[in-house]
Amino acid sequence: MGVAITTPDLEPAPTRPGPLRTRLLPYGLVTPSVAVIGGILAFPLGMLVWLSLQHYGLRELIAHQGEWVWLDNYRAILVDPLFRQVIFRSLAFTFACVVLTVVLSTLIALLLQRVRRAVRVIVMSALVFVWATPVIVTVDIWQWMFDYEFGVINYLLTQLHVGNFIHHNWFDNPLQGWGVLVVVAVWGAIPFVTITVFAGLLQVPGELLDAAQVDGAGGWQRFRFVTAPMLKPIFLIATCLSTIWDFGIFNQPYVLLNQRPSSDYYTIAIYSYRESFGVSQYGLGATIAVLMVIVLVVVTFLYVRETLKVAEIQ
Amino acid sequence: MIAREAARGVQAGRGRAETQTLTSVRAGRHLRQLAFDVTGIAVAVVMLFPIYWMVITAFKPGRDILTLEPKWFPAPFTLDNFKDAIARPYFLEDVRNSLVIVGVMLVLALLISFLAAVATARFGFRGRNAFLVMIIGVQMVPLNALIIPLYLMLDGVGQTDALPGVIAVYLAVVLPFMIWTLRGFVANIPAELEESAMIDGCTRVGAFFRITFPLVGPGLVATAIFGFIQAWNEYIIAYVLLSSPGNQTLTVWLASFTTNHGPEWGPLMAAATLTGLPVVAFFLLLQRYLAGGLTAGAVKG
Amino acid sequence: MRFRKPWVTVVSVAVAIIAAACGGTSSDNNNSANQTGTLTVWLMNGSAPQTVIDQVNADFKTKYPNVTVKVEIQQWGDIGTKLDTAFGGSTPPDVVELGNTLVAKYAAAGALEDITGKKANFDNSSTWLQSLTDSCTQSSKLYCVPYYAGSRAIIYRKDFFASAGVTPPDSMDGLLTAGQKLMTAHRSDASFSALYYPGKYWYAALPFVWDFGGDIATQSGGKWQGSLSSSQAQQGLTTLNTLVSSLSRADKNGDEAKQDAAFAQGHVAMIIANGWEVGVILDPKAGNPALKDQLGAFPIPSHTSGQTAPVFLGGSDLGVAARSKHQDLANAWIATLTGNKHMADMATVGGVIPNTTSMLNLGTGINTTFYNAAKNSKFVPNSQNWASVENANVLPDMLVKIFTKQQNIADATKAASDRITTILNGGG
Repeated sequence: MGVAITTPDLEPAPTRPGPLRTRLLPYGLVTPSVAVIGGILAFPLGMLVWLSLQHYGLRELIAHQGEWVWLDNYRAILVDPLFRQVIFRSLAFTFACVVLTVVLSTLIALLLQRVRRAVRVIVMSALVFVWATPVIVTVDIWQWMFDYEFGVINYLLTQLHVGNFIHHNWFDNPLQGWGVLVVVAVWGAIPFVTITVFAGLLQVPGELLDAAQVDGAGGWQRFRFVTAPMLKPIFLIATCLSTIWDFGIFNQPYVLLNQRPSSDYYTIAIYSYRESFGVSQYGLGATIAVLMVIVLVVVTFLYVRETLKVAEIQ
Repeated sequence: MIAREAARGVQAGRGRAETQTLTSVRAGRHLRQLAFDVTGIAVAVVMLFPIYWMVITAFKPGRDILTLEPKWFPAPFTLDNFKDAIARPYFLEDVRNSLVIVGVMLVLALLISFLAAVATARFGFRGRNAFLVMIIGVQMVPLNALIIPLYLMLDGVGQTDALPGVIAVYLAVVLPFMIWTLRGFVANIPAELEESAMIDGCTRVGAFFRITFPLVGPGLVATAIFGFIQAWNEYIIAYVLLSSPGNQTLTVWLASFTTNHGPEWGPLMAAATLTGLPVVAFFLLLQRYLAGGLTAGAVKG
Repeated sequence: MRFRKPWVTVVSVAVAIIAAACGGTSSDNNNSANQTGTLTVWLMNGSAPQTVIDQVNADFKTKYPNVTVKVEIQQWGDIGTKLDTAFGGSTPPDVVELGNTLVAKYAAAGALEDITGKKANFDNSSTWLQSLTDSCTQSSKLYCVPYYAGSRAIIYRKDFFASAGVTPPDSMDGLLTAGQKLMTAHRSDASFSALYYPGKYWYAALPFVWDFGGDIATQSGGKWQGSLSSSQAQQGLTTLNTLVSSLSRADKNGDEAKQDAAFAQGHVAMIIANGWEVGVILDPKAGNPALKDQLGAFPIPSHTSGQTAPVFLGGSDLGVAARSKHQDLANAWIATLTGNKHMADMATVGGVIPNTTSMLNLGTGINTTFYNAAKNSKFVPNSQNWASVENANVLPDMLVKIFTKQQNIADATKAASDRITTILNGGG
């Protein structure tokens, strides 16, 4: 051991580096990322928590001097009925989006395996275009497509005799409005998940599927017992990331409701942003953000544990 | 392989036994293929429609844009919106800034995330799970909630209205995802390959850079694409941090098409098309690595 | 050697004192050529034409040849976020353009320099538009300089009026009658609105409240009291509700952002709009230039025949950051922009309403109506918490509830009034 440490440079090709070096190497490798993430985010994250314990408004921001109020902000937010509504709505929205995104993306990925090459190229390119267009632009386009009088969707639905959608406001009724938001969010999330799942499908050995077919397994059974288990790590990651992204959704409702959504359309991220920059209560805004992370940790706990388990098995 | 051939044999045998129905089976198969293809096209049409709407709007003259009855094709056709968009002040500076920010950020991010990926994929070490949990946890914090702390921090070191400040923020934001994905790619490459290289006289590190690094190429590409899209399309941090018009990015330039009386649709759509083009180009250039790559990472977790 | 150090100190202190004294005199006397530094100015996208900015900077340069001015145009999207962080930082811009309803919030928080003592340095400060001056005043101190104003009137289609046989009305009843005739004349057009009124358009609802003697809130003894539920305010809103329900097919749950585009499409006879919206309607890139000769404007009529209703005076002010290191230069730059010469350019080139009553005669053609409307104008409650009322969407929500008949006017105004009372007095 000592030799390996003291003379690493004298030995051009040590077949077995010393155990200490091996033990230190991974720490050396993660140091840059810990340094960057820690160096850049540790202070802001710490300040976020610190802000959540202060009365901190615009005057305090300018004077750089807040008033320490312990847990008053948390008490205020937790008794606020709006907060509970927003959490509940965000969770329901996230659930709908994640389920739809994963199911639709899997179906599209399965379909991609079965279409001819030319069609596959077309679908793949479509997905790439959707992914590549900046979100701040696509939400503008969706807002316009669902517009009351200039929207293509009202026009099309009327022409197709689905009903009279001339002068229909999709956001009059919150349930319908949230439906629109789910459509827009899922549309934006499909490309990433589809491409990931499709790539995963390519790695499922054809032999296994054929053998299952010989054993008399139908299409659904083959998917259920052969494909799905092999894709489990992918589904775990896709579900986990989608949950994080959909729960924290901001741009879609914010822009579709003209930058000033009524409280019926608050997501948790919008609620936090409005408290911070709408009414200059940065302490309350930070409190909501901290609570949001706590809820997310609870919701994703099982995924994360499973994901770590999968990471262990190698 | 054996299983597959056996399966084929069985299928063929079954087929011979049912010669009468062969033509109808074939026709059925054709029909099924046709149904799949048509569904595929339908999916592409639905997904692409908003993008199509953006692009044709960019080619429409002003009066044809907001109409009560939609115009499905840009006729009459005009390039005025593109001319108008490009002629806006600071277009070229903003393109340059976006490229610099994303370019520098990506190179650093790939390098740093690769090292961390190797550490977490190849070594079991105390604190590894804590590190991985941190990587996931950091992604849960909403970026909007960090605007004030990030601004005050960068203000303290004189990096507001400066590209390095934005690069640093983007780097910290995309790193967790990139480490997580890359980690899967590295895990996918059999450690035995390295070991045999080490027997051939490479150092452990040498083996890594000679064997693992080239094999992980597709993973680096997939990860790079993700980082590129995230950083290229970010708005609020860039807007808050960068004030001088010559220092801003393309998304801030895009925001200048929305005035106090709503968006100028024609030029905005033209500008958005232009902004999206580099991403599509980057993507198409590297996409053949992508499909294999993205999953290779994920399958092994 | 031992004495050398104190000696050096004494000399350098002396030099510093002399330098400071010179510096002081140079800024007090017109020895402005000696001043150096970089002045950062934030103007909003679309506020001043580039040609005006260039001329202002050129004039400023002749007076202060060694000062560099950086004019940075800011975007509207999330501007509040950007202002908050910038004022919280160590290097805020020296000059900031602020929407007039935002000033109170930033002034009360200590973001802006108190320029009460410098008021006389600005041209026309005795004839500034009262509503703009009000927006700059907090606890009788002046925190900004009025920049330009915007006031609303009704833009109408002359050809539609002629073919329906109506003329611009001079009372609210007349407005309803004219609108009904227009609706009848266009009954075959299912998209037609005689008066296109999006439900959330609260700026356009205020004239109706004010005209009957109502107000948003009143202040007595330092306490605010929301007053939209007063019988006068309710009368105004009842009148507006009748107009909207019989004359408008606009989105009752929408805002006014697309009203110019709707007008340009040709299914609208009247909109309540700012003067600059004429330009948007006629803009070849978004509107319809062919309407040029068909546009007219008349003031929002009062319920009293022959009079006009008071309108909300929108606009922008220019403030100096309290943390600016060049406050004198910043004020000098503002004085240049708002001085007689360039303010006249803002009116004639930029087409906005200038900050002083002495220039309200500069309006020409269709603009005359809007300039005159500014003379009879009012402002929202001048409280640092007003921005929070706007952010809570109190007025748009109330209007939507009234127009969609989710609540009757008495209940809707009561709820809004209570909410406003709470927020203005500092409650959430």
